[in-house]
Amino acid sequence: MTVADLEVLGPGDSEEAPPTDETGKKITGRSPTRIALDRLRKDKVAVVCAITVLILILLGVLAPLINSLLNIKADAPPSTPATQYLVLGYPKPETGPPYGPFNWEHPLGLAPNVAYDNLARLLIGIRTSFAVALIATVLTTLVGVTIGLIAGFARGAVDKVISFVIDLFLAFPFLLGALALAPIITNRFATNQALLGKAQFFSLIGVLVVFGWMGLARLIRGQVLSLREREFVQAARVIGVPTRRILFKELLPNMVAPIVVSISLSLPGFVAAEAGLAFLGIGLTNTPSLGQTILRAQGYFNQYPLYLWAPVVTVMVLVIALNLLGDSIRDAFDPSTRR
Amino acid sequence: MRLNKPIIAVSTVALLALAACGGGDGDTGGPPGATNTANEEAGNAGSGQDPTRTEGPAPEIEGAAEGGTVKVISVNGLNSMDPSEAYYTNTGSILTNLVTRQLTQYVYVDGEMVLIPDLATDLGKPNDDFTEWEFTIRDGVKWEDGSDVTAEDVAYGIKRSFDRASFPEGAAYSNDYFVNGDTYEGPYKSGEDYAGVVVDGMTLTLKMATPFPDMPFWGAFPAIGPIPKGEDDPAEYRNHPWSTGPYKFADYKPEQSLTLVRNEFWDPATDPGRHAYPDSYEMSFDTPTAQIDQLMLQDSEPATLTYDNVSAPNYPQMSGENADRLVVGSDPCTFMWYPDYRKITDIKVRQALAYAYPYLDAIAASGNIDGVTRSVGTNIQPPGIPGREEFNPLPEHEKGGTDAAKAKALLEEAGEVGYEINWLYPTDDPLLVDTQKVVKAALEEAGFTAAPVATTLADFSTLRADPDTDINVRSGGWCSDWPSGGSWFPPVFETTALEKEGLGSNYAVFSEKKVDDQIDTILASPIEDQPTLWNELDQSLQEEFFPVFVTAYGGVAMQHGSGIMGMEVDNTYGMPTWKDIWVQQ
Repeated sequence: MTVADLEVLGPGDSEEAPPTDETGKKITGRSPTRIALDRLRKDKVAVVCAITVLILILLGVLAPLINSLLNIKADAPPSTPATQYLVLGYPKPETGPPYGPFNWEHPLGLAPNVAYDNLARLLIGIRTSFAVALIATVLTTLVGVTIGLIAGFARGAVDKVISFVIDLFLAFPFLLGALALAPIITNRFATNQALLGKAQFFSLIGVLVVFGWMGLARLIRGQVLSLREREFVQAARVIGVPTRRILFKELLPNMVAPIVVSISLSLPGFVAAEAGLAFLGIGLTNTPSLGQTILRAQGYFNQYPLYLWAPVVTVMVLVIALNLLGDSIRDAFDPSTRR
Repeated sequence: MRLNKPIIAVSTVALLALAACGGGDGDTGGPPGATNTANEEAGNAGSGQDPTRTEGPAPEIEGAAEGGTVKVISVNGLNSMDPSEAYYTNTGSILTNLVTRQLTQYVYVDGEMVLIPDLATDLGKPNDDFTEWEFTIRDGVKWEDGSDVTAEDVAYGIKRSFDRASFPEGAAYSNDYFVNGDTYEGPYKSGEDYAGVVVDGMTLTLKMATPFPDMPFWGAFPAIGPIPKGEDDPAEYRNHPWSTGPYKFADYKPEQSLTLVRNEFWDPATDPGRHAYPDSYEMSFDTPTAQIDQLMLQDSEPATLTYDNVSAPNYPQMSGENADRLVVGSDPCTFMWYPDYRKITDIKVRQALAYAYPYLDAIAASGNIDGVTRSVGTNIQPPGIPGREEFNPLPEHEKGGTDAAKAKALLEEAGEVGYEINWLYPTDDPLLVDTQKVVKAALEEAGFTAAPVATTLADFSTLRADPDTDINVRSGGWCSDWPSGGSWFPPVFETTALEKEGLGSNYAVFSEKKVDDQIDTILASPIEDQPTLWNELDQSLQEEFFPVFVTAYGGVAMQHGSGIMGMEVDNTYGMPTWKDIWVQQ
């Protein structure tokens, strides 16, 4: 029996499901995840954030489809030459903002200098952000959990070495690593643009993962250290359960809560990091991304606010929604915050 | 000449698009139509010489008043202010116009920069084949401590200009043209005994190894002026170069600020060119571009000016409501695409490239404003070089036009459809990435295979200068050091010893014996015939070989406050006409 099950049976969940005589049996039948989900469903903030995130995910996944339906281009002017849409670098009034009225052909207007469609770029940017953040989160979680489990369960030298490596990676400046890697990738794949795009994408994820797994690893290690001495683990060892089984069947299920929380909080972190790196010019350069658009638009805050605010607000909404959702998930999974 | 932008600092010649130049309009409800900034008219880079204007003081400017302090703001700090090393547009222009005097100087006359005598009493007397120049130094010129400037001081300054080890950033014309210029290494290393500079009383005789008809222009560089012997430690002198001009250094914090105050020992009667109306200049550097633009748009401090270009987003507003506070003009730069002459051997392919290139879209994508900070053209010599007359080497090609069909036809004719074009672009500047995309799309539409090669801003110049880099087109440009074809064709088109010297500024790796000979002939021709000959060479070179094509000429758009008067564009530097500036009280 795991700790979570014990807690569920305990008296602490009286508010969650009033222990009336009729429903008494139902309490015993609910898994911790189920309880957490029920609590999430009642949390209005969580529901709103989840819907927002879902919409953004849909926009990102369907971005190419939406762009082709609306006939807007993220990476090229509506037709060449681009200068036919521009006056002194700004889009002409008939294409919409900043000088013209709203225009269905280009709902967010055109970008200065290149006449790319802002909405198309924004959608592809959301797609890029999610792709990077999701892959990076999955990978950091895998790496972090594995290393944390090993470090916590193996005593002595292995634990010391792993802890030292964790400290080493924590000490290494993330930004410096990203800055150093970008030109290396560029020069390595200089002559093949398609490959360069992929290389930048994966190196970005690589940088985020390499410098992002330590927090979770430490957390898991700490959890394992405290659980390792608990009776159910001792019992399993005494009856000769193999180590792998103890790790994955006894320990891991008890750490679902911290892992889910870590995932939900690192997603917005990676979205922000991707935008930040792109803003510094060391992220993706061939694929549109939100940070890149912000970098281009920063000089236009006064003259063409929509150009700047659209990606800024998108990043903000995305990060806030994911963060609040993460908070709610943590609250829902954490027995000590039961309200 | 070096531009004062950091991206250029590694290379003698201008690269390509500089990040932020150009414009945007805000609250007027619509962008003003293309402003009539007329780069063509504004750009008359030093069309002439006026050896007759020898006597000071400079003629008064109507309405100009003395007094006041001019504030100058810029995003870039100053590089070395040692006259022997000042080779950036900002350092050279500030020194030669305000602080130091040299053999000759430029003055602004009706939209043109004219070369007139400065320390010398005339523009120099050459011998028949321009291998010996004689300059007589004016009496009555004083250092900022009151002592006399002698011909010996000037000779010492010239000798100092040979020292490439102490002054690696300085211009190397002395080494290139003077007798033993390649072996003499300046007074610190080779001693002061040098046969190329002979002093006799107040007369200097300069001896050349090869004909140097443009010596009077080189004489306008800060390096060809006096240096006080004994006070000239190369490590220290850059922080306080001794003044012979109207202003002297009062306080200089490198990379931060420079304050210039009047030099009371400057006698206007000895100076035919400088006015010096303001009492002082306060320059502060390291001001962010956005802040400069906001200060200028609001005009909160009327006696302020900047020599930085107005940034693209703010250009329309500045040129609309505040057009009277924006000065636009040309700088002496031509931006070109240089197909590698060794690799792209078929002239038809090179011509097809010129038809296919998206001139206007590339200007826009790089954040420049067509007709202001960039303008299209066909001559290699930019507007304003004496003797320049417009011509079109591709008669069916409209200036600045893109004709994919014609390009394709030429490629088919040459049997080279799908010809692969490789050129460098840095991935860490979004504007340059955009430019690359625009060019790539246009080339592909014209039937080329476009395979741009990615690099970083840091490596760009080095890779481009390496003759073995695996690219077949180099994008870049050349800024002339003085308005004469002699500052264009020898450096850009003369055969270079690839193994020994690398590309130099011959990015096309162009090598034709015929052109080399023509250049030599023109350099030895009478000086008054040269402008026409250079222009003829420009045309015949392009019509016969079409080695490069011009993507744009450079331009500047500088802002000033409502209290600043007399600020125009000195198009030999692309900087303000410091000599004529005055403050309205």
